[in-house]
Amino acid sequence: MDYFTSSNIPALFERFSLVFAEQKEALIELDSKVGDSDLGLTMAKGFAAAAAAVLELENADIETQFKTAGVAIARAAPSTMGTLMATGFMRGSGVTKGCETLGTVKLAEFWVAFRDGVAQRGRVQLGDKTVVDVLHPIAETMMIQAKTDTALPDALNSAYVSAVEALEVTKGLVAQHGKAAAFQEKSRGVQDAGSTVAVILVKTMADFICEV
Amino acid sequence: MKKFLNNPENFVDEMLEGIYHAHPEVTSVGEDLRCFVRTKPVKGKVGLVTGGGSGHLPLFLGYVGDNMLDGAGVGGVFQSPSSEQVLEVTKYVDQGAGVLYLYGNYSGDLINFDMAGELADFEGIKTATVVGRDDVASSIVGEEHKRRGVAGIFFLYKVAGAAAAQMKPLNEVARLAEKASARTRTIGVALSPCIVPEIGKPSFNLGENEMEIGMGIHGENGITRKNMTPADEVVDEMMVRILAEQSYEVEQDVAVLINGLGATPLEELYVIYRRTAQVLEKAGAVIRHVFIGEFATSMEMAGASISVMQLDDELEPLVAAGANTPFFKHIKRQG
Repeated sequence: MDYFTSSNIPALFERFSLVFAEQKEALIELDSKVGDSDLGLTMAKGFAAAAAAVLELENADIETQFKTAGVAIARAAPSTMGTLMATGFMRGSGVTKGCETLGTVKLAEFWVAFRDGVAQRGRVQLGDKTVVDVLHPIAETMMIQAKTDTALPDALNSAYVSAVEALEVTKGLVAQHGKAAAFQEKSRGVQDAGSTVAVILVKTMADFICEV
Repeated sequence: MKKFLNNPENFVDEMLEGIYHAHPEVTSVGEDLRCFVRTKPVKGKVGLVTGGGSGHLPLFLGYVGDNMLDGAGVGGVFQSPSSEQVLEVTKYVDQGAGVLYLYGNYSGDLINFDMAGELADFEGIKTATVVGRDDVASSIVGEEHKRRGVAGIFFLYKVAGAAAAQMKPLNEVARLAEKASARTRTIGVALSPCIVPEIGKPSFNLGENEMEIGMGIHGENGITRKNMTPADEVVDEMMVRILAEQSYEVEQDVAVLINGLGATPLEELYVIYRRTAQVLEKAGAVIRHVFIGEFATSMEMAGASISVMQLDDELEPLVAAGANTPFFKHIKRQG
């Protein structure tokens, strides 16, 4: 399909919820290397709550759906990453105001707002070895796809490819934030757990839109 | 490790149960013990909310009370409270005049308080934020916005608490708190590490005869680590950092806070104060208010910090005002 409508969004969050439940142990394992091992848990909890909250809405527009999901994640996932993901969806919801469908152009704007919101709230810069290092190429790739009028499935797949490449690059960086920062040089060579979450988000979105 | 503990996981909640039982003037919002508020909010007053990790008593929740704060989000040891907890406290504390967030400049707290503010906005509650960033050892001049908040945040609580009690509006309370923040400087020194209960061993090591000047209240790196020197020399070295940023030529009046980090005897704090007063007075300062004791600790860390707030005609009466909280009693002082 070439766009999301409000009728797809509950199913999209249901998918996020399923995928993060599946990835829970893998994320815990990644996070345990230089973090406090709670990432898998908080993401699974956060997206389960988001899916439930979006499902409960009746006749809501896309903006309300994303915003509701964000608030639900904030409440259910009381960790830094939970709060940052919540912020992403809440800020992203803003650009979907009044949209009945989300095609490549609007979804590109969504990812830009998502990235900017996370970077601002986390006071994070590119290269700090955080989720923003993957959100940035997702947003930029989506913007390029929007300019060339690429269909949404192809655009999201390109964004996913750039996210995977960026995740690889983060391995070489040294963490500047959170508990991982205390590990400094030891964090080099380790895949960043937060960045992995961003890859999962865009992959799930791409898979979903290719199937519907 | 010798500590009075049951299951380390229950440390924070058991501490809270003790506090609520001892002090009925504070309570929790709903089921979550970590949403800490005054039992009786004051109608129409700006609500003051703080929060941060546990392990620093009396900071943060200890200053919830009359003429001070209205609520606190209580995190695990050295961990931020969640945005949800801060939101619940905010909703309870708001009495129609809005809520001021006052907390230390740490990334986890910034993220969660900002998020709580955004969620509160959805609920029609106006919030403002002022952060404590008094630790001169944590960033250079010119990068004050990156500094950590330590014991000096007590002065922000005192000033904002007294201003809010006078029923000043949110923007005015925030302005005064910001002024207090901009005029407060702190420098600390650590003599021994602390132990987080759930970790069970020291988070860093300091040699038997070593001290670290500028160390943060979670063991963050300081400026220099060196062998112990006589107390006067330690104070002199610390005060150089504060004097480099404050001049008492025009505005002479100061308030001083000598804070113990958890395991340093009060006697030693007075030895520190003696020299601090000598240094300040030699530099032309007039000490108008003195607070000595444990205000912001780091579990059983040995060490101390010196905070100086430069006063003016607005700030001085707010520091002088009375206050009464479970952990801090202050009788109003005249002039």
